[in-house]
Amino acid sequence: DEIGLIPCPEARYNRSPIVLVENKLGVESWCVKFLLPYVHNKLLLYRQRKQWLNKDELIDITCTLLLLNPDFTTAWNVRKELILSGTLNPLKDLHLGKLALTKFPKSPETWIHRRWVLQQLIQENSLPSLATKENLGAAPVERIHRLVQEEMKVCSEAAGRYPSNYNAWSHRIWVLQHLAKLTVKVLLDELSSTKYWVSTHVSDHSGFHYRQFLLNSLIHRTVTDNNILVQNQMVNEQNPSLQKEEESAGTEAAYAEEQTVDLPHCLDKEMELCSELIDNYPGHETLWCHSDESLSNSHHSPAMSHMAQAMDVDGLNESSSKQGYTQETKRLKRAPVQDSLGPEMEYRFVDKVLSTCRDVDQARFATAYRKWLVTFLGQ
Amino acid sequence: LNLWAPFSRRSAYCAASVASLTNILTPALFAGTAEWIARCQNWEGGIGGVPGMEAHGGYTFCGVAALVILKQEHLLNLRSLLHWVTGRQMRFEGGFQGRCNKLVDGCYSFWQAGLLPLLHRALHARGDPALSMAHWMFDQLALQEYILLCCQCPAGGLLDKPGKSRDFYHTCYCLSGLAIAQHFGSGDLHNEVVLGIPENCLQATHPVYNIAPEKVARAVMHFLQYPVPSLDPAS
Repeated sequence: DEIGLIPCPEARYNRSPIVLVENKLGVESWCVKFLLPYVHNKLLLYRQRKQWLNKDELIDITCTLLLLNPDFTTAWNVRKELILSGTLNPLKDLHLGKLALTKFPKSPETWIHRRWVLQQLIQENSLPSLATKENLGAAPVERIHRLVQEEMKVCSEAAGRYPSNYNAWSHRIWVLQHLAKLTVKVLLDELSSTKYWVSTHVSDHSGFHYRQFLLNSLIHRTVTDNNILVQNQMVNEQNPSLQKEEESAGTEAAYAEEQTVDLPHCLDKEMELCSELIDNYPGHETLWCHSDESLSNSHHSPAMSHMAQAMDVDGLNESSSKQGYTQETKRLKRAPVQDSLGPEMEYRFVDKVLSTCRDVDQARFATAYRKWLVTFLGQ
Repeated sequence: LNLWAPFSRRSAYCAASVASLTNILTPALFAGTAEWIARCQNWEGGIGGVPGMEAHGGYTFCGVAALVILKQEHLLNLRSLLHWVTGRQMRFEGGFQGRCNKLVDGCYSFWQAGLLPLLHRALHARGDPALSMAHWMFDQLALQEYILLCCQCPAGGLLDKPGKSRDFYHTCYCLSGLAIAQHFGSGDLHNEVVLGIPENCLQATHPVYNIAPEKVARAVMHFLQYPVPSLDPAS
């Protein structure tokens, strides 16, 4: 489940340089300078059609190469061909990639190949008539869910192996967007599962940025759902005789309300998390940035205005759609701003930090934050 | 299509550079590119690899420079971009970091500091009265100090930060950043700010293409003589 290089400049004993201990694979460093050019050359000769290699040999050689140097695009491409021809199980490449990432957590080519494999798997999944080799007998939805969970795990481990691992977090976002389709459930799950991680990696800007992405996606999700709700309501006004639409609008209203109720709570919890971490770990710029942005989101969230509007919807009974629109905009402007994250609370927090902290950077960040609060909330 | 997204910003910049210098830039060639780049500007103000991703110096420069070439920089929120990039100059080191909470790196002397001439031009075009006519909006002397004092290898060449080894990439971008830091504007508005002895002064570099401004002018003039190639096979 893990690979590594064992610093061993000379071959002391006449034995294999491969070491396997407790499921971890080690390679003594002295052999790399022989092994790598050898396999590299073999693959190139194959590619140049100067030397034939059968499928099993190809699989072995590319595997060896990629564990020594996963940024060797050609090797990944050979494996793509093998997958497309049906000789290689794509899940094997996910495992190979995962192994490579234990030693090379940033490797761009590994992440890129991973996305290609995942796309292949989704395509396979969407053709239910195809009996795939590794069909675990689970429903397609369940398979996707398992894939997503595994990817979250891989990203999390890679992020832990290298600070602010841009490629790992990029991939994580990609998976949520393309495999998990950014459902509310998955967004909320991710928020809770990464909470511990960011608390133990307080300077990892990428980690906190991921949480911003989750929160923003939640906000957009809520807005879209509310927009659908509002649109349905407007259609409703124009066709009061259609009973069915009213019913569905009703359930949607309940559904939307269920989801929107979570949103201010989420942002609240985020601010709490920030404050707690800032207190415990003075002097980390990332935390203050995250605080800025979370507060900004909670005040300017269009979801808040839309929420107020959705609950106030019977007022929208203008016959002409143009008038309805003006009414809507007026309502948006008068919408109550969520008060649970009162500015006084923030001021109190900052003042407390300023009066008790001894870290120079912490004091500087707190002062900057206070200035920002004044300008921002003063509007 | 999305597999290589984080790396495509660089390709967009390369493509836009080449196309504009060789006079093959047509609207069809870059249809939708500008909007796609602008979508990657995030809440921090910088540009990330994919929409929603963390702002990053390299991608931001490539994105902004590409937009400048396509004359679409107004699609960005220039103020928040300015806020982000100026926050990337490190108060102790004087050099720039690539992303928030990361370490300084000599190559960002160009990727980050290089954004300021582009922003200056864009904001000037909007008639912003607060713009200086003598300095870029970053500490030019501090950056020069970082590069000259910390990024030089005694055997020649430049590097990321003390303790790292030299390489061509860092040599190129440390020098490019140094050139940006030493020269403000051009023509009548040219203002040199050179740290140390006058011999430290490098030739100016073009803030979009990062080659000598005269070379840009000559390339453009040369290719303007030829018509824009058409996709029509008959012609």
